[in-house]
Amino acid sequence: MTAHAEKTLLPAGLEDALPPRAELEATVIERLIASFGKHGYRRVKPPLIEFEESLLSGPGRTLAEQTFRLMDPQSHRMLGVRPDITVQIARIASSRLRSEPRPLRLSYAGQVLRVRGGQLRPERQFAQAGFELIGATGVTADAEVLVVAAEALAGVAVEHLSVDITMPMLVPQLCRDLGLPQDVNATVRTALDRKDAGALVTLGEGHRRLFQGLLAAAGPADEALATLRRLALPVGARPMVEELAALLAAVRQALPDLVLTVDPGESRGFEYHTGVSFTVFARGVRGELGRGGRYELESGESATGFTVYLDSLMRAVTPPPSAPRLFLPFGTSAAEARRWRQEGWQTVAALQSSPDAAAEARRLGCTHIVSLGKAQALA
Amino acid sequence: MDRQQTIVFAVPKGRILGQALPLLAAAGIVPEAAFGDEDARQLRFSTNVHGLDLVRVRSFDVVTFVAFGAADLGIAGSDDLLEFESPEVYAPLDLGIGRCRLVVAEPAAMLSEDDPAHWSHIRVATKYPELTRRYFAARGVHAECIKLNGALELAPSLGLCRRIVDLVETGATLKANGLVEVETIAEVSSRLVVNRAALKTRPDEIGRWIKRFAEVVGRGSA
Repeated sequence: MTAHAEKTLLPAGLEDALPPRAELEATVIERLIASFGKHGYRRVKPPLIEFEESLLSGPGRTLAEQTFRLMDPQSHRMLGVRPDITVQIARIASSRLRSEPRPLRLSYAGQVLRVRGGQLRPERQFAQAGFELIGATGVTADAEVLVVAAEALAGVAVEHLSVDITMPMLVPQLCRDLGLPQDVNATVRTALDRKDAGALVTLGEGHRRLFQGLLAAAGPADEALATLRRLALPVGARPMVEELAALLAAVRQALPDLVLTVDPGESRGFEYHTGVSFTVFARGVRGELGRGGRYELESGESATGFTVYLDSLMRAVTPPPSAPRLFLPFGTSAAEARRWRQEGWQTVAALQSSPDAAAEARRLGCTHIVSLGKAQALA
Repeated sequence: MDRQQTIVFAVPKGRILGQALPLLAAAGIVPEAAFGDEDARQLRFSTNVHGLDLVRVRSFDVVTFVAFGAADLGIAGSDDLLEFESPEVYAPLDLGIGRCRLVVAEPAAMLSEDDPAHWSHIRVATKYPELTRRYFAARGVHAECIKLNGALELAPSLGLCRRIVDLVETGATLKANGLVEVETIAEVSSRLVVNRAALKTRPDEIGRWIKRFAEVVGRGSA
């Protein structure tokens, strides 16, 4: 008995998803993809495993230490199991679909595998669903991605959605403009990522005021924008602020009720991004549901994308009441059974006769039973 | 649904609590009477502020509660923040309480013949294995850590290991046990900490509390 139970142990971060969770996750993915599709994003399906060198190039390089590797017995080359699908979409867009008209709209969903689970995401295998807008630049493209993402999430019953917009290029630009040395640069970025105003005291008066101003600007979008505009930013950084203003205006117009926050100083986790980025949260749900933003393909093309993590998303989705299941007593004809299913029932057929059909139906978790040609609710 | 409305504020038991309570009071947070009762079994307390509850947990656990979003706000030592290193925790404000230093110490007798520059592998007793490992790894030294939860000063004299990494306020305990500081790893103080998702999804409410504490701290140091 124990020996058998031990064999059911799974490695850390891996699990068997059971009903109804597995069903709900599949439904949610389908609805997300359908929602992306309604905005013109067409689905692609890259493989689970590919050559390490293509998987870990370009935007993929930040995920190198999260990638499971194995040797391909056939080609004797190193393979990687995808830790993220975005990289694969970038590869497809700049290779096989390079002559497709731009902007190119692609969507995807699938499982990814990571070497280590995080604190908030102990899962090492989880599903990702997302879409990429490739070959379009500017605020209209960023706004489209943000709006499509928010609509898709609202469409799978996520409540109290909140989108945080970050500008990962702003702080590096400021450090360049101000001519800050490398080590100061690192201190500033860590301090801003942790919102640790105390760590900024080592800076000179002027710089300190600027970066503390950035910290103070984090918050509800409109106030953040006003604070940013008041800051004495160097000339190089000003266009970024105006770009942000245009993006906020565009998103507001499409989704007036969406909660928007801005965090101009944060850049953690957006290392490969080259423009405005965003993270989606839901109130009361730990961790982020998904993230997106602008980045550059290896070909030099610009792209904006969004990806949602199904493990976090499932914590935010309100599960629908479970579907009614109809018990078909032994001897129900195939034609009648088909009729019930066509009416929309999930049917559970008895495989042998039993003295008490209702008890048998209950034992199998059915909510209804066919009796005298009618579907009757079981007490 | 309750968790979506109420803000949960985690405060540390023990040493820091006495210094934290006046700050909370100055920010306008007064817990219910049972909070002051050390023997009470209750762990969660309401306050005079509607929709704000206090939980009293061990100081190290404050960071864990806040990292997982079980608490939205908290008061945590920068030592615990460094040990835990969670991207989900923001530390926007130095509260200026619970000041001490995190140091490497060893027996006074050893110091004369020991040159830290020669170290390649050391064994250390500490409450902070992660932070200690990282600190020494950055200098090219492999630190093998023995996790202890208290009475670290005993470790060298009883032969558990020769060095310790521990918090020092005045240095009296070290001295009494024949230990001397070799180097300081970090200056420590308590921070106001905030859960990342909480700050993003409730920017107004959480932002207001950060501002209020900043005013209180600003007044204190002025």
